[in-house]
Amino acid sequence: MSRIVFHIDVNSAYLSWEASSNLQMGSNIDLRDIPSIVGGDKEKRHGIVLAKSIPAKKYNIQTGESIYSALKKCPSLVIVPPHYERYMKASNAMVEFLNAYSPKIQRYSIDEVFMDYSHMDRPFMETAEEIRTNIKKELGFTVNIGIGPNKLLAKVASDFEKPDRIHTLFKDEIYEKMWPLPVEELFMVGSRTKKKLNDRGIFTIGQLANLDKGYIYSWLKKPGILIWEYANGIEETPVRIDSCPVKSVGNSTTLPFDVETKEEAYKVLLGISEMIGLRSRDLKMCGYVVSISIKNYLFFSYSHQKKLNVPTDSTNKIYYTAKKLFDDMWQKEPIRHFSINLSELVSSEFFQLSFLEPLDKKNSTLDKTIDKLRLKFGQNSIQRSCFLYSGIDPIIGGVVAEESYPMMSSIL
Amino acid sequence: MKVLMKPIEIIAWFKEESFPVPLRFRLDAEDKSKLVIKIDKILFQEEEKFGGNKMIVYRCEGIVQNINKIFEIKYDIATCRWFLFKI
Repeated sequence: MSRIVFHIDVNSAYLSWEASSNLQMGSNIDLRDIPSIVGGDKEKRHGIVLAKSIPAKKYNIQTGESIYSALKKCPSLVIVPPHYERYMKASNAMVEFLNAYSPKIQRYSIDEVFMDYSHMDRPFMETAEEIRTNIKKELGFTVNIGIGPNKLLAKVASDFEKPDRIHTLFKDEIYEKMWPLPVEELFMVGSRTKKKLNDRGIFTIGQLANLDKGYIYSWLKKPGILIWEYANGIEETPVRIDSCPVKSVGNSTTLPFDVETKEEAYKVLLGISEMIGLRSRDLKMCGYVVSISIKNYLFFSYSHQKKLNVPTDSTNKIYYTAKKLFDDMWQKEPIRHFSINLSELVSSEFFQLSFLEPLDKKNSTLDKTIDKLRLKFGQNSIQRSCFLYSGIDPIIGGVVAEESYPMMSSIL
Repeated sequence: MKVLMKPIEIIAWFKEESFPVPLRFRLDAEDKSKLVIKIDKILFQEEEKFGGNKMIVYRCEGIVQNINKIFEIKYDIATCRWFLFKI
């Protein structure tokens, strides 16, 4: 018997969750019925649209555009700030609710869940209908459910018509339901690939699907084969219960002001390093490659990276490497955005040492002690004195401190 | 009933099993005096999980300024606060 996979996607997630929380707190306005957005703080320069209501969509407001330009399109727009703990709570409640229906549930992101419903006695449509109505009734927000023979088709199906709908997309339906769609609607086809495909006259998913496999391989190589298979509805990864293996640990921040001095830049790098060190030690992983990227006041970004002799999870080591990279690359212009990434991860239990670098046991004990203190007494219980009165946070990055927040990934 | 969602001071009875039972509460009246309302009867109670936030909603009956009224109070489990939701 073939598989049946559900993809459950919360309709305008952040906004719905804000709306249901406001209703619970006695508000008489449903944010979903008026032009409204969840947006970052303009003062802190995080002023972009994170989620929009369906009435806001009618004003052609796009997710990711600046609040300034959204307000120009609709002056009466209601803007609410994001509350990530709330979203975490709502998402957890949804997963807990779905646990009653299947043991195989993959949390794909904060608002998307895959659920394996193969080999169940009950007809899948009946279950889907029950999930849709009960989530609405009990949790107060609406979802789209896509049902297909694999994760890819389920995901495509849940995106068809919104909100509060159930769609199916089985192999025999892809000709009429998926193939007429524009090619950029396909998973893994981004703006660059879209341009490449459009340049050769491929505008719909159907056109891509009907290309010769050898031809697409000679042209776009392995990623080409992947999207060709996706266009034909071929995708066989199981619904993972455990999370994907972590390949890199990275954090970034956009600052409320432009950084113009070295000292300030170093502090920001140290703040991010603290976060990355903390996270990689928590994962029990060490990384070989430290890379940093900065975006200047003209929104131009550039990056540098360095491979270490010995993999590290030490805050200091990450910081010193980042600092050196920064000195090498910085053109002395004002900077608005910093990011650091630690990759080529290996287990921190066994890794190759080097003759050229002694292993700093003292430092790793210090890191561990600080982690324990922070875990027990809170993240701000211990901090470096250089951050005092600096206006820069001692630990930078991430949306919900102290909790793991499922982010989107390109791996299904 | 009008939605108020006003935080209130309350005396409640926490039992071994089952939800806490509100007994009487106090709120600021319009003339700034404190008004104590005794809950005579709980008509029904239910758990609400909007957006994953658990609250218990009680529909109650009691005498407010000499008039027998029906009102709803809410208990927010995460913050341990009580609200007069509707009256």
